[in-house]
Amino acid sequence: MTPLHFSYHSAFIISIMGLSLHRTHLISTLLCLESMMLSLFIALTMWPTQLQIPSLMLTPMLMLSFSACEAGMGLSLLVASSRTHGSDQLQNLNLLQC
Amino acid sequence: MMYFAFLFGFCFVFWMVGVSCNPSPYYGVLSLVIGAAFGCGLLVSMGGSFVSVVLFLIYLGGMLVIFAYSSALVEEPYPAAWGNRGGMIYVVSYVLVIVGYGAMCYWLWSMEGYGSVTIDAGGLFVVRLDFSGVAWFLLFWWLVVFNCWLKVIVDVVCCDGVGSWFVLWGASSD
Repeated sequence: MTPLHFSYHSAFIISIMGLSLHRTHLISTLLCLESMMLSLFIALTMWPTQLQIPSLMLTPMLMLSFSACEAGMGLSLLVASSRTHGSDQLQNLNLLQC
Repeated sequence: MMYFAFLFGFCFVFWMVGVSCNPSPYYGVLSLVIGAAFGCGLLVSMGGSFVSVVLFLIYLGGMLVIFAYSSALVEEPYPAAWGNRGGMIYVVSYVLVIVGYGAMCYWLWSMEGYGSVTIDAGGLFVVRLDFSGVAWFLLFWWLVVFNCWLKVIVDVVCCDGVGSWFVLWGASSD
């Protein structure tokens, strides 16, 4: 594995670990989701760049547009939970009582 | 020149660790901005300047601005900073994850070595392939000397010494 590929692989692993091990805020979960999307964008761009296949350059563009939509959805959920629960602290999201 | 790209890759991973173990969302957004800047530098160093500009515009200029405003929405009066909190174990463990992953890639799965194999470098070597002939000479100069000695000795033993050279020279001048 070359170091360029290792960089986005390890960035994705670190981001997904940060997504699963977030501690206090809901927004840090969304931030880790965004860093996962960033590492996937770099991966999808590095692949057609190194193989010199121009038609595969469509995938990072599509992925970026869908990631923007998904970030907007996540932030709207964050704002909704901040309005009902007062803040986005995860200890406040305890309606299930489990 | 590839070390420039490796530097961008290292800084990208460093700031992604900063995103994952952020003490408060302000520092997480800041780390993501700088990490995205280094990721764009990585793409530029491979020649993809247009996708790098697209990433800057849409990702940093669009999405992360919204993230910055949303983290201002969920602000707390006394946000924690990098030094004084109990989450330093996360930083250490993420760095150990990367180091362990690199060690596994190098020792378990390397087919051609850790790095690309060109004339500029071979794996993690820092000397170009065609410059290393001089380095080999500095190591093995005694082979050249030994070779000359062996040639003189073989000449003396098998071809009746140095005198045979004058005989041949005299024979050719006639």
